[in-house]
Amino acid sequence: MWKYVLKRIGLALVTAFIILSLSFILIKSLPYSKPLGTDDQKYSFYLQEVNLGFVVDLPVKTTGYGELLFSYTSGKTTHNFYQNPIFVQYFGWLTNIITKWDWGQSTYILPSNPAGPIIAQKLPASIKINILSVLVSVPLGILLGIIAALKKNTAIDHVISTTVMIFISIPSFVLITVLMVVLCYNLKWLPTQWPSSTAPTIEKIKGYILPVICLSFGSICGYARFTRAELCEVMESDYLLLARTKGLTKRQSIIRHALRNAMVPIVPSIIAEFIGVLGGSMILENLYGIPGIGSLYITAFNSKDYNVLFVDMALFTVIGLVAGVLLDISYGFIDPRIRMGAKK
Amino acid sequence: MAEFKTFDEKGNEINVKKEDFTLIERDKKIHDAEFETKPTTFLKDAFKRFCKNKSSVVGAIIIGIIVLLALIVPIVSPHDIKSPSPDIIRLPAKLFNSGTGFWDGTKKCTHVVYDWEAEAPANYKKNAVLKITNYEDSYTDAVNKYASGGILIFLNDNVYEKGDDPLEKTDYIQNYSMYTINAVDNYILSVSLSNQDGLKDCKLGIYRILLVYGDKSITIKDWSRDYSDYQIDLSKVLKENNVNGKVKARIRVELQPELASDGSRVQSYIGINKLEITSSSTDETVIKELESISINDANATILAADRKSDGTFDIGYWQSTGRRELYQAIIRYVDFIYDVYEEKLGQTTKTIGKSTMDDYIKAGYCEYDYLVGPSSFKVLNEKKCPIVSVTSQSYNKKDQIYNIEVEVLNYKYKGYTSMPKFLFGTDKNGYDMVKLSFNGLRTSLILSVCASAVCFIFGLCWGAISGYFGGNIDLIMERFCDILGGIPWIVMMTLAIFYLGQNVVTFGIALCLTGWMGTAGRTRTQFYRFKGREYILASRTLGSSDMRLIFKHILPNAMGTIITSSVLMIPSTIFSESTLTYLGLLTLDTTTFGTILANNKLELSSNPILILFPAAIISLIMISFNLFGNGLRDAFNPSLKGSE
Repeated sequence: MWKYVLKRIGLALVTAFIILSLSFILIKSLPYSKPLGTDDQKYSFYLQEVNLGFVVDLPVKTTGYGELLFSYTSGKTTHNFYQNPIFVQYFGWLTNIITKWDWGQSTYILPSNPAGPIIAQKLPASIKINILSVLVSVPLGILLGIIAALKKNTAIDHVISTTVMIFISIPSFVLITVLMVVLCYNLKWLPTQWPSSTAPTIEKIKGYILPVICLSFGSICGYARFTRAELCEVMESDYLLLARTKGLTKRQSIIRHALRNAMVPIVPSIIAEFIGVLGGSMILENLYGIPGIGSLYITAFNSKDYNVLFVDMALFTVIGLVAGVLLDISYGFIDPRIRMGAKK
Repeated sequence: MAEFKTFDEKGNEINVKKEDFTLIERDKKIHDAEFETKPTTFLKDAFKRFCKNKSSVVGAIIIGIIVLLALIVPIVSPHDIKSPSPDIIRLPAKLFNSGTGFWDGTKKCTHVVYDWEAEAPANYKKNAVLKITNYEDSYTDAVNKYASGGILIFLNDNVYEKGDDPLEKTDYIQNYSMYTINAVDNYILSVSLSNQDGLKDCKLGIYRILLVYGDKSITIKDWSRDYSDYQIDLSKVLKENNVNGKVKARIRVELQPELASDGSRVQSYIGINKLEITSSSTDETVIKELESISINDANATILAADRKSDGTFDIGYWQSTGRRELYQAIIRYVDFIYDVYEEKLGQTTKTIGKSTMDDYIKAGYCEYDYLVGPSSFKVLNEKKCPIVSVTSQSYNKKDQIYNIEVEVLNYKYKGYTSMPKFLFGTDKNGYDMVKLSFNGLRTSLILSVCASAVCFIFGLCWGAISGYFGGNIDLIMERFCDILGGIPWIVMMTLAIFYLGQNVVTFGIALCLTGWMGTAGRTRTQFYRFKGREYILASRTLGSSDMRLIFKHILPNAMGTIITSSVLMIPSTIFSESTLTYLGLLTLDTTTFGTILANNKLELSSNPILILFPAAIISLIMISFNLFGNGLRDAFNPSLKGSE
C-alpha cells in the first residue's frame, strides 16, 4: 500500500515537473512582456530580473541576444538588458525556486513585486467561498441522492433526477447570469458585485450568498446523481438481500449496510473536491468581481503579466494533480477491499 | 444381439428386443426452423432500444430541430446582421401585435415626467405611447419646463414703511408686446385671481388693472381687493373713452404695497390664476396671438420671461417691476406602455435628398415635382412608398442640393413591407437576436463537429494502438496522456492563444490538443476488454493481421460505448467556446455563440433578454445532448442502464 502511495506521489511530482517546465519554456519563448513605470522603476525591475537569471545586463549593445529590452544610463555606465537564452532562463528559474522559492516578479498587476505573494493574497477569497460551497453542497447533494435512490421510480425520484439532469446541463455562466439578473438586479436582495473590504458586515455576508449558491448548484447535482447511482447499485446487491433475509428492517439494512458501502466511492470524491476548491471558479470570480485567483488569472492573461500568469497556472496544475492523487489513494484507505496498484 | 431387460412397476421382468425400437423421425427431414422474427443487427437492436427511451428521443428531436434552425434561419430570415443599423437598436421582443400586452414589443415605463407641450412623456414620442396607465401629480414652486398651470404670484418688492404714499410705491406687471384691439370685436378680459391669503408669507394687496395704449391709460378696474373671478368688456371700455378705431394696447396690473396689521413690513401680492383676453374675431392669427399673450399657464408665462438667444422676447413675456413667482404648478409623472417599434420604425420626420426621391419616383412609388414643391406630392404605390407626405423643401443654390423634409414610415424606408417583428429583440447594433444567435450557433456547431471529429479519429487510433499492443507501448503512451491530461484545459487554451493568436482555428486546434484524450482512454479500456476474448484468439489463430483484428473484430464491438461518450464532446465544445469568449479570454473574429453572449454581457441589467435568449438555447442544447447521450448509452449497453 505504502509503496503504491509513494509511487503515485512520485509519478505526480514528475508529471508536475514536466508540465511546469514545458509551460515555463513555452511562456518564456513568447515576446518579453515589459514592465510599466518610470525608467528608475524599470531599471530596478530589470536588475531584479538579472538576479533571477532571466535577463542579462551588458555594458555595450550586442546583436547576439535578440531584441534590446531596455537601456539605462546611470553615471558613466550604460546598462543594456537582453533576454537570456531560454535554457539559461530555465535553469535560473529552477535554481530560484529550489533555493529561494522565488517565482519571478509581476510586470503589470503590481510591477516589480514578487508573483508568489500576489497569488497568496488572492487565495483566501477563493478558498473561503469554495469551502463554504462544499459545506453546503455535500450534505444537500448526498441527501437528495439518498432520497431519490430510496424512492426509486417514484414521482419524487423523477423530480429529483430531472432537476439534477437539467442543472448539470446548464452551463455555469448561464446559471450565474440568470441568478444575478433575478436576485441582484430585479429583486435587489443581494449586492450586484462582490462587496469591497470596507463594506458593512451584513453586506459582506450577503455577498457570499450568490457565489455559494452558484458554486453549490453544480456540486449538489453531481453528488445527488452519484449517490443515487451508487446507492441504487448497492440496494440491488446480494448482500443487502441477505441482510434483509436475516431479519434486519429496511431502515437498519440501509443505514448499516447500504449507505456505508455506497459511501465508498463518494467519500474520495469529496476529499478530491476539497482540494479542488482551491482552484476556484474562474467564471464566477470573473462575473461577480471576486478578487480570487480565478479573476487574477484573467487579469494576468489580458495584461500579459506572464510571471503571475505562470504561477497561477502552476497552482491550477498542482491542485489538479494533488486532487487526482488523493482521489486514488483515498480509495485504498476507505475500502480495504480495494488494493490500489495490485496486479490482477 | 443384446437384449435389454427392464422391470415394470410390479417387478415383472420385461424383455425389450431390438425390433421394439424404431427411429420415429427416420423419414422426416429435420432442419432448423426459420426464425419467425426478422433478423436484427447490433445497430438495429440498439436503435430499437433507443426508441423506447422517450426522453432520449425527445432530446434527439430537440437537437435535430435546433440544428435545423441553425442551418435554415440564417438563410431564410430577412433581417440584416452584417451592417449595424443604429435606428433599430435594442428593440424589445415582439411576437404579437402591439397592444396585446404580452410579447408585443412594448415596454412599460414608470414615473416619467409628462411634457405638456408635446402632449407626451418627456423625450418619448407621442404616437408611440400606447396607453397611459397611471399618473401622479406633484406640485412645484420652481419654474420647470415640464410643469404646467399654477398661480402666478406677483409681488410688490418696494420698501414701504408707515407714512409712505402707497401710490408712489406701486409695482406693475404688464405685457411686453402690444396687441391690437378695437371697439368692434368684443374684446373681453377675463380675470381670475387667487383669494388665498398668506401665500409665501405675503399678504394679498390692493391692485388695479389698466389698459395702456400709447402714452395714455384707461383704468378698467380701479384699486380694489376684489379677488373673485370677473370679466371686463374691453371694447366697451374703449367706446366709453371715445376710442373708436384700432389701438395697440397692453394690459397692466398695478399693485400697492401693504403693511401688516401690527405695522411691520410685509410684502403684498396678487395671485393670478388667469388673465385672458378673448375676442369675437374669427381671424385665426388674432386668436392665436391673444392666446399666447394671455396668462393661462403661470409656469409658461414665467418661462417666457427668458430672453431668447437672438435678444428678443417671447410674445408671451410679461415684464414687471416687482417679482414674479410661481405657486403650485403641476408636474405630472406618468406610467405608460410604450411601443418601441412604433417609435423606431413608425412614422418619423426625415430629410432626404433629391437622389432618394428620384429613386422612389423612378420605381413608381410616388409623384413629385421639385418646382411646385410639397403640394405636388402624390403617393402612387400605397404598399411600397415609404413617404407619407412632404412637409417642406429647401434648395441650396450654391451646392444645388435639394433638402426635402418628409414624413416617412421608417419600416418601409428600411425595406420592410410591413412592421417587422423581432422575436427576441435586437442588440446594440440593431441585429435580430434570433438570426444572430442561430448564425452564431451554426458557426459553433460546425466548429465543434469538426473539432470533435478530429479528436475522435485521433483518439480512436491512439487508444486502439495503446490498448491493443499493451506493454511498453501502452505504458509510454499512457504516461504521455497523463502529462498532457495534467495540464488544465484553461492553461492549454491560454498557451494556444498566446502562440496562435485569437481566431476560430486556434480555438479548434487548442480543443484538439486535449480533446482526444477522453476518446483515447475509453477506446483503450474497450480494447483491453475485448482483446482477450476467444473470438479474437480464434481469428488470430486463423492468421488475421493486427489491422484486421483491430478494425474488423474489436472496434465494431467497442464502437457503441466509444461513440456514446464521444457524442458529448459536441456540446462540451460549444460550452467551452462560449465560456472562454464570455470570460473575455478569447476574442473571436467570427460570430459564434460565445461572442454574442460576450458582446451583450454589459446589457445584463438593462436588457437581460439579449443574454437570456442565447443562454436558453445553449442550456437547451446541453440538456438535449445529455438526454440523447444517456439514451445512446442505454441502447448500446443495456447492462449499464440506470447507472449514471
